[in-house]
Amino acid sequence: MSLFGIAWRNIRQRLLTSGLTALSLALGVALVVATLVIGDVVKQAFNSGSGLGYNMIVGAKGSPLQLVLNSVYLISKPIENIPWAFYEEFLPAAARGDGVAGRYAGSVQTAVPICMGDYFRGYRVVGTNTAYFDRLTYGGGGASAFARFFARIVGGSATVGAPRPFAFAAGRNFRDDEFFGGVLGADVAASLGLKVGDPFAPTHGADDGLVHDPFTVTGVLARTDTPVDRGVYVNMEGFYLQEGHAKPVDGAAPKPAARDPHAAPEPLPAAHREVTAILVETASLPGLPAELTAMGLRTAVNEGRDGQAAEPIREIAVLIGLFVRPLELLLLLVTALVVVVSAIGILVSMVGSSLERTRDVAIMRALGARRSHVLATVLIEAVLLAVGGGLAGWALGHVLVAAIGPLITTNAGVSASLLSAAPAAELLLVPFLIGLAILAALLPALAAYRTDVAKWLG
Amino acid sequence: MAAPVIELKDVRKSFAMPGGETVSVLDIEAFAVAEQEQLALTGQSGSGKSTLLHVISGIMRPDAGSVRIDGHDITRLGEAAADRVRADKLGLVFQQFNLLPGFTALENVLVAMSFGSGKPDRWRAADLLASVGLSHRLHHKPAELSVGQQQRVAVARALANRPRVVLADEPTASIDAAHQEQVIDLLKTTCAEQDVALVVVTHAPEVAAAFPRRLRLEAFNRAAVHHG
Repeated sequence: MSLFGIAWRNIRQRLLTSGLTALSLALGVALVVATLVIGDVVKQAFNSGSGLGYNMIVGAKGSPLQLVLNSVYLISKPIENIPWAFYEEFLPAAARGDGVAGRYAGSVQTAVPICMGDYFRGYRVVGTNTAYFDRLTYGGGGASAFARFFARIVGGSATVGAPRPFAFAAGRNFRDDEFFGGVLGADVAASLGLKVGDPFAPTHGADDGLVHDPFTVTGVLARTDTPVDRGVYVNMEGFYLQEGHAKPVDGAAPKPAARDPHAAPEPLPAAHREVTAILVETASLPGLPAELTAMGLRTAVNEGRDGQAAEPIREIAVLIGLFVRPLELLLLLVTALVVVVSAIGILVSMVGSSLERTRDVAIMRALGARRSHVLATVLIEAVLLAVGGGLAGWALGHVLVAAIGPLITTNAGVSASLLSAAPAAELLLVPFLIGLAILAALLPALAAYRTDVAKWLG
Repeated sequence: MAAPVIELKDVRKSFAMPGGETVSVLDIEAFAVAEQEQLALTGQSGSGKSTLLHVISGIMRPDAGSVRIDGHDITRLGEAAADRVRADKLGLVFQQFNLLPGFTALENVLVAMSFGSGKPDRWRAADLLASVGLSHRLHHKPAELSVGQQQRVAVARALANRPRVVLADEPTASIDAAHQEQVIDLLKTTCAEQDVALVVVTHAPEVAAAFPRRLRLEAFNRAAVHHG
């Protein structure tokens, strides 16, 4: 019979004590695994914003973090709107009515306007144009050179694979002339059960606000695992035509005309238009590093009075510093406490059974067992408990994550399932537990090592 | 006379009492047990019987003298080496049987084998248990066995590593008079079959009477005599 077999027998002999120890260990490990995985998932949620298809957001002056939270993560409130004329400063001559290139157009590759403020059953409605899905990308470092540059500075990671164009799981992007066409993010379509062709009517300002005209779903996006999955995107031309969306000029806003369903609607005049933000992909100017182009554009915009330019990757780094790092520290603290409690559990179990064990040890020593044998047997017993409890806890932790997955999805915007993992930390967990178990069992193992055989055999 | 499997020379052992007084328990000039010999050691309570067994088995070190087991002076060996000699050369049968309660009869024998130089051998362990009449109780734990059956497991376990000598400490003290003879017969027969010497420590004259050689500890332990 091997020492392993003897240790296993000892565990079975004290089944209740051993079982309770393994159970407490498993619960502790489950908590650690769940917190590690959830922490990782939440971090991914923030990091997913770093793989944007743009490297700059232009919006009203105010908090750049708020601008990013609102534009990228679709959370928080918009700061204010910016004038349409300011947006046009980012457009090339061909895209402007006056045929003159905008002030910043030379530094811009793509500028996509977004208008916010409406909701649809808990999800943000974003008014935009076709370029959002036709020209922007997601994942990796679409914005890329700039994003990578800042990622290097802040020590984060901006690249999570190559930038990918948006794909549609069903249907297509709305067309410019489909004023009342809309595209749904994967989560929105899945949770609301909407499909191509279904109508949906956004509400103004809040879920219980004024109900706007219905839009029609032209497409459902394939999953991107970014905040885009949680957005409802409508043609901004239709968005502008809703009540309360036209900017009053000289104190008067145009009244929405009763629309003739058979006639093409008239677009809102530029004078009444505003945008909430502009998603900008900067151009690479000949002979100039892309980072410097972006830096120059940012400086130019921020020195003006019309708005501010924020780099999402930098703000995301601030965000992570503000929320994710403290969260990680908190999780680390919880983990440390759980680990200490687990170690004490093993110690208590081992010490608790030491009287019974001492007699067995004395018998084994009388039969010729070396002190090293009894030391090893006690340590193996602890390791077996740690491995058993650890693996059970690991599995339980993942079940726990799967159970609260929907809650995480709702709040963090990323899916957490049975297979979600924090691989690096999880791989270290069981070896760490084994080390911990050995440490905790050292005291009872040494007591067994020192057992006075003659005294116990009488 | 054949070469001794146990040989003690000038062995002394004393214990320090709480008050600082030292009490001598063993003072033996010479004691030997020959190969395959079977003898009974008797003595009054406190005559040093258990201490002598502990010293012979290497569980306790004497203050002076030498203890040779099959030629190995265990007083000169390190603890691990002395443990190995005990595992390989000696088989112990205790008064309280001292079986491991969480292990089956078979496993109790296998555990003893795992500390010896050879590999644990399930078939031999089963054979040993069969030789003491327990082939139908291999997978029973001590609590599921009668007192007599537990004693038989203890005998089989003592023979697990093909020892040169079996030391039995009051093996009949925990069983009724009707079974005493059976246990002694079992020990004598089994040890004889395996060519193993047998030393039985007992305070019961009727048990000692079953052995051709009987020694009173007081006769050769000067400390016991002084105690008186």
